[in-house]
Amino acid sequence: MTTDILRITGLTTRFFTSEGQINAVTDLDLTIEQGEIVGIVGESGSGKSVTALSIMDLVESPGEITAGSVQYRDRELATQVREDAPAAVDEDFVDLRAVDESIRTGLRGTSFSMIFQDPESSFNPSLTVGEQLAEAVEVQQRASSRPRSTRARTASDDYSFGNYLLSMALPSKRYVTEASRERAVGLLEQVGIPDPARRAEEYPHQFSGGMLQRAMIAQALAGEPDILIADEPTTALDVTIQAQILDLLGEIQEETGMTILLITHNLGVIARMCDRVAVMYAGEIVERGTLTDVFDNPVHPYTTGLLGSIPTLESGGNDRLQPIAGNVPSLRDEEMPTGCTFADRCPKAMEVCLDAPPAFTVDDSETHRTRCYLVDREYNEETALESTSADSMSDAQ
Amino acid sequence: MSDTNLPPTETTSTAIEHDTDGATDDPLVSVSGLTKYFGTDTGLLDRVFGTEEPPVRAVDGLSFDIWRGETLGLVGESGCGKSTAGETLLRLQEPTGGEVTFAGQSVYELSGSQLTEFRRSTAIVFQDPFSSLDPRMEIGEIVRQPLDIHELGDPAHRNDRVRELLDRVGLSADQFDRYPHEFSGGQRQRIGIARALALDPEFVVLDEPTSALDVSVQAQVLNLLSDLQDEFDLTFLLISHDLSVIRQVCDRVAVMYLGELIEVGPAAQVFNDPQHPYTRALLESVPRATSTEADREITTISGDVPSPRNPPSGCRFRTRCPAVIPPPDCALEQAAYREIQTVRERIDNRTFTAADPEASPDEVAARFYDRGIKHDLPEPHRGRLERAFTAVAKGEFERASAMLAEHYESLCERESPPLGEADHGAACHLPDE
Repeated sequence: MTTDILRITGLTTRFFTSEGQINAVTDLDLTIEQGEIVGIVGESGSGKSVTALSIMDLVESPGEITAGSVQYRDRELATQVREDAPAAVDEDFVDLRAVDESIRTGLRGTSFSMIFQDPESSFNPSLTVGEQLAEAVEVQQRASSRPRSTRARTASDDYSFGNYLLSMALPSKRYVTEASRERAVGLLEQVGIPDPARRAEEYPHQFSGGMLQRAMIAQALAGEPDILIADEPTTALDVTIQAQILDLLGEIQEETGMTILLITHNLGVIARMCDRVAVMYAGEIVERGTLTDVFDNPVHPYTTGLLGSIPTLESGGNDRLQPIAGNVPSLRDEEMPTGCTFADRCPKAMEVCLDAPPAFTVDDSETHRTRCYLVDREYNEETALESTSADSMSDAQ
Repeated sequence: MSDTNLPPTETTSTAIEHDTDGATDDPLVSVSGLTKYFGTDTGLLDRVFGTEEPPVRAVDGLSFDIWRGETLGLVGESGCGKSTAGETLLRLQEPTGGEVTFAGQSVYELSGSQLTEFRRSTAIVFQDPFSSLDPRMEIGEIVRQPLDIHELGDPAHRNDRVRELLDRVGLSADQFDRYPHEFSGGQRQRIGIARALALDPEFVVLDEPTSALDVSVQAQVLNLLSDLQDEFDLTFLLISHDLSVIRQVCDRVAVMYLGELIEVGPAAQVFNDPQHPYTRALLESVPRATSTEADREITTISGDVPSPRNPPSGCRFRTRCPAVIPPPDCALEQAAYREIQTVRERIDNRTFTAADPEASPDEVAARFYDRGIKHDLPEPHRGRLERAFTAVAKGEFERASAMLAEHYESLCERESPPLGEADHGAACHLPDE
């Protein structure tokens, strides 16, 4: 039996910049079941990464989560929280947006973990890979023994000159304990790094991109999280290395039964890995469903457009690509349309699309939902807008 | 332009079919033995102390032809030298060795007005539309700059030409006095294309023209490029790491690995019937955007690309190849032989380190064996490997290396396979076996 582990409802994130309000994520609903791999796909600026950061509560100023709830299923946590904040608890689900900051911090790493796109810039260049892994191990151990602790620092409390001298004098002190060092080496071995004992002593620049991405996965696994959020984990890698990393993620998922939220712009990666997929456009999920729903029976013209614009190996090179006209839209509040956000690029836009945004409607099956008027009405040439698709700017060839 | 507002269906002509018919017998660009090393000039101190490092062999003996009107795709992973090859053959970098002829003339011997003429008939479009346009110049000036430098026509005429070009690449002529930051990535790439076309070149190198763009915009740019090619009879060298893009637009494909060409042929043949194990692995690794993708069996190739400072002997792909040729007397299945080869590689690189310094050499050897060999090897292989690991545990890497080389050295290590002269050729020993 599968059960939901994460229920996101109405999640809305705004950035209040000097240039105006940016609607990065708008009214996002997503349910993730225990042990599945869910994909979020979209172009740059569609709000995929901000969604991930919002779930982890890592949105930084000037960004702010303005509405919505992130409900996480954890019976122990629910029992704990019930006394302090009964409103946040719904059976085994805890609304993470309604509990204390320190609880959310305690969950990071042990319940939620994240891997980022660019492994080169996600590691500290002045510490060895092993030290950074051992640090993660230590943090997770402390967090699990004292769930509400917010202490994230391990070896020393600050980087004062005295501590620097101390670390020079006592190099063996750099690993917090021998046990965490061994665990770090074990993690490196688990993610398929050859000669882990030696590689743990090396610095990030001595690792190749693929190896470093493996090390980052190891770091994310340190706290044995329930949910792993992978934000473009293979975008910086070559295809052969990408295949290795995807294999590794799949194997880890099978071994540990972890739930993975995979965020990428690459539809092929989604197809390879995911059980269910959500397509994002301009901060909203415009279509979501199983792989078959979205890849074989897409309803939203954006999904169709996205699938039509990727060149494939099998195409034979003779079919002309069918690009989506226009450009990725601005997310500034004053520039956002009142109706459907895709209407100005949509080849099937109708007058109704400009008036009000369409609802998130259930299609043929319960799992398949689309934010488009086409779900329950046929496309009719007569109600169509004046050909927006031949928009002079963008598709002038 | 007259066809600006045509719906897409009517422009779906023979956009990408460029046969070489109608071309002359000579290739437009002919590359032979092109070599580019970096870091060849070591300093005095390095020489005195003997700390000089071998040069990076970015491009190591490339030979291929590009025919008039075709698109040749140069594909490979990052660091294989494809961009260096593109820049060197346009003489944006001086080569270390080799020869390139353009329309019959040797590119590296040109000087004076001949060189200027060569610069006018060739152009390049760069990968990153954000850093390849001067942020302080209006886009009209950017596109006009090649015309200014080559002093073509009077200023009014040049401005007209720029407006025409902007219009042709799908921008509006009244955007002449805007600045690059006002445009999106796809639009900037169009500006870069307009600049490349300003001098009406014959040959354009496209260096990853769409890798910084989103897929929907990438499709617009790829369509634009193939339309322009038809309209202006352009010859393209398209450099890309994206096999789907190469498949979409190229007539012929050249696959690079670690500075060398490993397979060249017509696109349809290379993609449908790849000869080199590396090409096969590359094609397999690309995830397909279909709902049946999860069920597709793929064998990923292991390991990383070796350093171009010190490439492997013989066939450069042999350290990762899933089809290395075992010696004739070695009756092992490929996967087991592959493991032994990887162990040998690691012994040569000395990447076996004991996790526990207090364990006895026998224990360490047994642990190394477990880590390196997952297969259940039959005798005499098992014994040979055990003896080698015992030597490794004692720190005698060279002896271990020699012990294994005696029994397991492959043809692929000794001889570098030639690419051959055929239309579709692969630099691999396999077909000869």
